[in-house]
Amino acid sequence: MLSRITFFMIYALPSISNTKSGFDALALLAKSSSSLKFSDLEVDFKNCSFFAANMAAVLGAVLGRIELAFNTVRIVNVPEKVQTILRKNEFLKGFDFETLSDSNGTTLPFRRIQLDDTTRFDGYIRRHVRGKGIPIMSEALSSVFKRKLYEVFENAAIHSNSEMGVCCCGQYFPNKQCLDITIADAGIGIRQNVRRHLHNNDISSLDALRWALQEGHSTKTGPHPGGLGLQFLKEFIQKNGGRIRIASRLGYYIFYRGNETFSKLAADLPGTAVTISINTADTTEYCLNSEVSADEIF
Amino acid sequence: MDEPVIANVATIVGGGLCVSSEDGQKVHDKIIPLLREGRKVALSFEGVETVISAFLNAAVGQLYGEFPEDRIRELLTVRDISTDDIAIMKRVVENAKRYFANKQTYDEAWKGVVGDDEE
Repeated sequence: MLSRITFFMIYALPSISNTKSGFDALALLAKSSSSLKFSDLEVDFKNCSFFAANMAAVLGAVLGRIELAFNTVRIVNVPEKVQTILRKNEFLKGFDFETLSDSNGTTLPFRRIQLDDTTRFDGYIRRHVRGKGIPIMSEALSSVFKRKLYEVFENAAIHSNSEMGVCCCGQYFPNKQCLDITIADAGIGIRQNVRRHLHNNDISSLDALRWALQEGHSTKTGPHPGGLGLQFLKEFIQKNGGRIRIASRLGYYIFYRGNETFSKLAADLPGTAVTISINTADTTEYCLNSEVSADEIF
Repeated sequence: MDEPVIANVATIVGGGLCVSSEDGQKVHDKIIPLLREGRKVALSFEGVETVISAFLNAAVGQLYGEFPEDRIRELLTVRDISTDDIAIMKRVVENAKRYFANKQTYDEAWKGVVGDDEE
């Protein structure tokens, strides 16, 4: 008679910042638990003295993927400061912690949204993103920023094949005049998409990221052109003075003030995570002036 | 005079949110039979609140793989569209033209790339 072997694993998570080291740490968690099935994972926060609120989206995607392999995940020994952050943004609600009220109104709560649920994503944007110190802007800018978030979500919908959908989470920092929002999936990642599209299994995660970030490049199947969403995002962030971070498999990318940096993560992070950091002190009068009339589009 | 058939995007999609390529495909599938018959089509964006490039790629961009550029120019127009959306659509159209003109070349250059050893 065959019996299933169940493992019990304890993983001590370090502090998680909104930087490469935070992504490295979550990638190492994913790697350590990648072969677990029908087992128990206890994520021990005793060494985690800080947790960047938006990174709950990435942790949610990593743990969601682990749970999809019929594992049970528990979170224990969360220090009070970290608990406050992760209870306010409701990430810990899924692990039987009670939520705390977001009395400052600075939290974009953790949510898991299915890829075909644009209505729910729209509701999330409308309810939680507006009114959080988004840069003073015209109607045009307001719609530009929302548009970028939809572009990122739709990228995940088209490319990720993520069974568990995407995880969203964010935080507004009134003192720093900055808003961070992360959309993360635990799907197949940019590398696999690009390898499949180009029929080249030797392309690295970093080269796949470089390819995907070029205007006009898209791995969409079917007769669709594509590859503009990330370009539009970069253009917006360049004007805004914000930052983009993308982590996918072993690749990590930052865009800031026109400079792009590519580096290798410490381990394989399944799926793709995009973090947009907005400078909320931006008072640029955004207006997508088109020199083209409707008659000249085609 | 040959009056164009007006295709209202918000009606086809079922709302003002034009943010998925699936919904863009609905628009494409609605207008393609008309274009194939040589009928003029005016895409109306009345009632559209938000539109993104992924939607427009499917709705309009892929037409450049099916028709010559001048045929699209002859048959297809847009109306009731904001300045912002004109700018985005123009970029989508230019991108589509490049895509269908250069697709082979784009991809060939990357086929021989060999990166660092990875897992």
